Amino acid sequence: MSRSRTELLDVFRATATEVAEKDFNTVAETSTIAELGIDSLGMLEIIGSLERELRIQIPDESLAGIVTVKDLLNAVESRQSVTS
Amino acid sequence: MSGRDPRHVPPTLREALRQLSSRDERGFVFVRPDGTERFCSFRELGVEAERRAADLHARGLVKGDRLAIAVPDPDEFVLSFLGAVMGGIVPVPISPQLSFKNIEGYHDTVAHIVNASGASLLLTTATTRQFVDPIVPRAPKLRGVVTVDELGKEDHGRVDVAIDPTDLAFLQFTSGSTSRPKGVMVSHRNLAWNSESFMIHGLAKDSSFDKGVTWLPLFHDMGLIGFVVGTIFTDIPVVFLPTASFVRNPRVWLDKIHQHRGTITYAPNFAYALVAKRLKDKDVADLDLSCLRRAGCGAEPIQAKTLRDFAAKLAPAKLDPKAFLPSYGMAEATLAITFVPHSTGVRTDVIEKKSLEGGDAKPASSIEDGGAATDPSMRDADVQELVNCGRPFPEHALAIVDEAGNRLGDRQVGQILTRGPSVSAGYYEEPELTAEAFKKGPDGETWLYTGDLGYTVDGEVFVCGRLKDMIIVRGRNFYPNDLEWVVSELPSVRRGNVVAFSVDVNGPEGQGEQLVIAAEAFQADAEALKQAIAQAIVSNFSLTTHDVVIVPQGTLPRTSSGKPQRRKTRQLYLEGTLGRARAVQGKDGQPDDAGASA
Repeated sequence: MSRSRTELLDVFRATATEVAEKDFNTVAETSTIAELGIDSLGMLEIIGSLERELRIQIPDESLAGIVTVKDLLNAVESRQSVTS
Repeated sequence: MSGRDPRHVPPTLREALRQLSSRDERGFVFVRPDGTERFCSFRELGVEAERRAADLHARGLVKGDRLAIAVPDPDEFVLSFLGAVMGGIVPVPISPQLSFKNIEGYHDTVAHIVNASGASLLLTTATTRQFVDPIVPRAPKLRGVVTVDELGKEDHGRVDVAIDPTDLAFLQFTSGSTSRPKGVMVSHRNLAWNSESFMIHGLAKDSSFDKGVTWLPLFHDMGLIGFVVGTIFTDIPVVFLPTASFVRNPRVWLDKIHQHRGTITYAPNFAYALVAKRLKDKDVADLDLSCLRRAGCGAEPIQAKTLRDFAAKLAPAKLDPKAFLPSYGMAEATLAITFVPHSTGVRTDVIEKKSLEGGDAKPASSIEDGGAATDPSMRDADVQELVNCGRPFPEHALAIVDEAGNRLGDRQVGQILTRGPSVSAGYYEEPELTAEAFKKGPDGETWLYTGDLGYTVDGEVFVCGRLKDMIIVRGRNFYPNDLEWVVSELPSVRRGNVVAFSVDVNGPEGQGEQLVIAAEAFQADAEALKQAIAQAIVSNFSLTTHDVVIVPQGTLPRTSSGKPQRRKTRQLYLEGTLGRARAVQGKDGQPDDAGASA
């Protein structure tokens, strides 16, 4: 079950808000992870939640280049096409 | 004292691995990110390590040469680390972890460690090579970059160089955010003594049934010595999980303990907090953790509440709270310095906060006796609960000294010193830093000055904080100087007008230390500046700032020499008066932030 880009952004916003307990509901794709004030452990926690929610697995090597929310959604999107 | 070999383990790591060469059924299990497992018996570990040793020699490395290792996969890391050790080559583990920030900071760290260790070769993997290749032009002594799949392809036989227990076994670069990590020199003898200390005297290991389970990073002393080295010295099987798998889904740690009937695990405080927070009650229902008899806790300040929360959460899974094993240690002492006696669980000391500031650790019962606080919430604010970290191992010693180096008595707070055969000879090619930390103590012998503050009660140690205000957030060390420097690079902040310190917070990540930045600036853009400061910290250190306080110019407390005082600033912040008063002059000659930490 593949989700649209808009849906993915919403899932990210909801997951980040829940895991980090901060309001990320208006985050844009262009934001960098650093701008959101999320550290690397926090980001991995969010990614873990996303993986469970979307039933995908993002390989570690594709995490290395992630700097923006957009990069992350790209990684998620490419796994969706693999998994579904 | 350090001239002897320990009694219960082999004198070198190579000898220890060779003694396991008949172990076909026992060994290490490596869990991959996708959950599949690779079993590698101790015999196979030895065979492959010897093969890699011969390959490294065939590439021109000789005994004593340094091999930098930036390898994320635990199996490949362990085989390569052991390969270097079998050939007398000195491995230098480097964090392969890339966090969600600019790559430049990672390049700086790798380049520094490669240069400071004088590494001849840098070992990495096909996938991570792209992240280390760019440093090659900055490392003149480095002869090349090799990936693990190229290693051991051809059979070069077996090398047999002479290895003495006093030889350097590896360089442990201290984890920290400073631009200049230091390489702790760890000898085979250090490893043997510390392994005997924590595995036998500390954990009372039983090779007939004990099994370790860990997700700790292996480029760090707790994962590497605790679960790779100590277990080889004492013939204990281990299940290794990738660190990222644990952080993504903390449950996998407990699942693997359950599935493999793990008896020994270890983690910093934040990990126990993460589990207590994230684990759902329904997840607990399927778990049986009655097998776990040692749950070590160390590497960062231990919060009794975190361990109690963890125990409460896992009680339905039959977790024995007596399994908790609070401990104290650091890379300069190889790993472990003190352990509580096993099976005693978490024991704490509740003291008067105020007395601590004055250098005494007075039991809080005296508050109640005096009737000073009748409101229970007041009482909470006035007391501090510290976790007992136990006592040093046989042949090792611990002392608490004042600023002049005189020994202090029970319940007097001072710097913690340790000595014994686990203590390193110093930092690699850093004579000045070595002389600062490894020097004569009150008895004329050489002691390791840990830089930590603490006190003892009947020989058991309680750690209060860090002498040099090092900030530890979720197991990572940060030096205030470094954080302050980055903030002062921002256009509206001036150098010397920033203070970084940590406070104990019960936040979304559980209870633990969190970063606060106080900066002097004009109030007009305070909100925008707060955001810019938090961003600068996260993008440089991948660290979340708990709070940013913008105070009017000239209101940070300063020493007579004009340097901001971190402790005083922290105290004003906690009292809620930071920025309200004009500058308070510190005592002459008492700068608490001598600026020597970086």
